[in-house]
Amino acid sequence: MALCEEENNSDSTLAFMKLAIEQANDALNNLEVPIGCVFVLDGKVISSGRNRTTETRNATRHAEMEAIDELLKNWQDNGLSAMEISGKFFKCDLYVTCEPCIMCASALAILGIRSVFYGCGNDRFGGCGSILSLHSSQGKGFECTGGIMASEAVSLLRRFYEQGNANAPKPHRPLQISK
Amino acid sequence: MKWAIIHIPEKPQISITEPPSVDVFAAVIEPKLANTLVRRLNKICPLENLTHVKRVRRSSLEGGKIQLSVVLCLSHGEVEQLESIQSDILELVHAYQLSPFIAKVAKYAASSNEEWKEQCKLWPTSYHPPTYNIDGITGFSEEDSQTIFNFMKLALKLTKSGPQLENAAVIVDPSVRQIISSASDQTHSWHSLIDTTSMETGCIKQPAVFTCSQPDANAAAVRDTLLSDGVSDENKRSYTGVSCLYPRKWMEHQQNTGNTCYFHPLRHAALVAVELAAARDKHLFPGSGNMLDCSFQENRLTSSMNSPAKKQKLNLSKDEDDLDLKACSHDSCFETERPYLCTGFDIYLVWEPCAMCAMALVHQRIRRIFFAFPNPNFGALGSVQRLQGERSLNHHYAVFRVLLPEDVFDNVHS
Ligand SMILES: [Zn+2]
Ligand SMILES: [Zn+2]
Repeated sequence: MALCEEENNSDSTLAFMKLAIEQANDALNNLEVPIGCVFVLDGKVISSGRNRTTETRNATRHAEMEAIDELLKNWQDNGLSAMEISGKFFKCDLYVTCEPCIMCASALAILGIRSVFYGCGNDRFGGCGSILSLHSSQGKGFECTGGIMASEAVSLLRRFYEQGNANAPKPHRPLQISK
Repeated sequence: MKWAIIHIPEKPQISITEPPSVDVFAAVIEPKLANTLVRRLNKICPLENLTHVKRVRRSSLEGGKIQLSVVLCLSHGEVEQLESIQSDILELVHAYQLSPFIAKVAKYAASSNEEWKEQCKLWPTSYHPPTYNIDGITGFSEEDSQTIFNFMKLALKLTKSGPQLENAAVIVDPSVRQIISSASDQTHSWHSLIDTTSMETGCIKQPAVFTCSQPDANAAAVRDTLLSDGVSDENKRSYTGVSCLYPRKWMEHQQNTGNTCYFHPLRHAALVAVELAAARDKHLFPGSGNMLDCSFQENRLTSSMNSPAKKQKLNLSKDEDDLDLKACSHDSCFETERPYLCTGFDIYLVWEPCAMCAMALVHQRIRRIFFAFPNPNFGALGSVQRLQGERSLNHHYAVFRVLLPEDVFDNVHS
């Protein structure tokens, strides 16, 4: 997995990650684990999502899953076929504040997206190198770059756990910056 | 083949017939010296990393005579020379006129009964069956097995809902043998506006809730190779609709005219079942700040649980995960007994889940997974990955494979 030094990140990479962090902030304000993401196609944000596990009582409703649902619905509403949608995913990048978990990394491989940029690593659940490497082992792989605005991502998670949110008993994501 | 349940352990069986071993010095001893020698050896040379190895081996010689041998110490390096033995052990060797020889002992404690039997052929070891508190790892009662087979039959019935075989999932609360939710793959039939109060509308296939029935006696014709590998017979239905087996097949999805449903490549049966279980939970136990008619809720609760009186008690668990329950208890007395996510629940899957589904079941805290057929393409519970053995995960379920009689597929589909 590639590591991004902050200064080497292009402006657009940081801009997209800032939008993902905004999503995470929205999660925090709604007492959800503060992780957010945006999907980018041709330099434009085409969907966004943030964790919604507490509200739904469904621990699989991670930011990535929320954003994917939005994409699939929009594209089909616009009459795109499965083949066309597959072609779109193939050119999509994901910016997410925390390394996708094993479930989300598998989902991204199933959809066949192009690349993932993430903030902090996830050394309990991470599916992009931390625990398993689904981005390079399952079906069609994707590029993965970690460490983008990781400290911002981590401080959001810290704030969440420090405020002692009872609805999220345990950190679902670690508070460690990926190496 | 008959119905059977096999536990799929956290680590692959290490070559049982050739267990990893280490060399030790051992010596035959006089039985009457056993106590003295073992006591002294344990003191001067405890088998620190080999606590599973028994110090003394009993073997019966021809004519029924018993011979005792004792492990003196590890044999360091390749040299079989006595000089490599530490001096206080050498003293014992001389004092009791022992003739040390090299023996092999199992390097690791056995993790299964079979492994243990095999390693005892080298040198006896002790074996402590796993101390998990998950029922079933050490075997199932006849009654429990029958219940498990019946729930698996329900999952098998659900695989047939489309033109192709699909994966199916049934989530069960085993304490009351009640179905919490069930689903087959919905990669072709997603109703994107999931409304928790109208789960049965739209094109979501919401199978009826079955009651656990006795095994049906009507046997039908055998189609024994239906689920074997390398199927080429056109009469046999294809497995390409099983989403965990062929997760990338979604690209070939053809929109049927007049179909108002969306397709969704990620709506594998397990994920849908988890979503339905979560929706059911919200419906039965509306969240905090939701001032609902308590009597209505009580009815729902009573009809769905066994002993509502007992369940009123605040369950102060040692597990941090239950913080959620405690927090909710301030808002509604009924919230106290709401299980956290799918804690304590089992899931029955026809095919071994892919990594996405298997991880979803970790997130949702499923207790046990039963599946019928392995998934050589993307199975994450032993075939390709083995999530139940990933120690870093915050939750661990026990995994079982249910072996089916060859004709069962016909029976459930007839
Ligand atoms: Zn995830
Ligand atoms: Zn799956």
